[in-house]
Amino acid sequence: MSLDIKIDFDEGKGIWVVLPEGEIDIYTSPELKSRLVEALDDKQSDILIDGDRLEYLDSTGLGTLISILKKAKESNNRIILKNIKPNIRKLFDITELDKVFEFEE
Amino acid sequence: MKKDILKLTLPSKPDYISVARLTSSAIANKIGFNIDDIEDIKVSIAEACINALTKSQYINIQFEIRDDRFIMKVENVSTEEQLDIENKEMELGILIIKSLMDEVKFSEEGVEMIKYIEDGNI
Repeated sequence: MSLDIKIDFDEGKGIWVVLPEGEIDIYTSPELKSRLVEALDDKQSDILIDGDRLEYLDSTGLGTLISILKKAKESNNRIILKNIKPNIRKLFDITELDKVFEFEE
Repeated sequence: MKKDILKLTLPSKPDYISVARLTSSAIANKIGFNIDDIEDIKVSIAEACINALTKSQYINIQFEIRDDRFIMKVENVSTEEQLDIENKEMELGILIIKSLMDEVKFSEEGVEMIKYIEDGNI
């Protein structure tokens, strides 16, 4: 298993929409990081991460999201997470990162 | 009293951590853990392996099945800060393991992570 990342810019809403499919782990995190940095360098705007097809996330994945959040905040942009599966949401709750990221129900 | 031991040695490379995860999940499934417990076990073994990754050439893992508990030992896992990796991520990893497992013991050899078996079915 690995990770397939779709990143598109929603012109109507002016937001990056990210659909990671598979696993964000120590093996795949670096690619996600570089793709998101690339996106933010291209257009500074909010990022919506749709977790509908995300099956697994580990601490390196959380670390990647934290570093992207820091970068986004430099331009006053936000990271919004939606459709996050309960097993993954649990990790945000444990690490109290649920208070750092925005979740769209 | 049952004491079945399985051992797994992996090269210290990120691409092999999924092997530890899948192996732990196969064993946990065989023991009869529910889906939530299997998920906790998979996540915890991966976090322990990530922690051990930079410390030696191989990651040594031991799984031990007893009547009332499932024990996973991973060598070279520590809570001590290192200079070459993101310490924030290491802290998150340790926090995740401590939250998901029933007992977690750190020693000089590494970490011992325990999940209790409620009804002892296999």
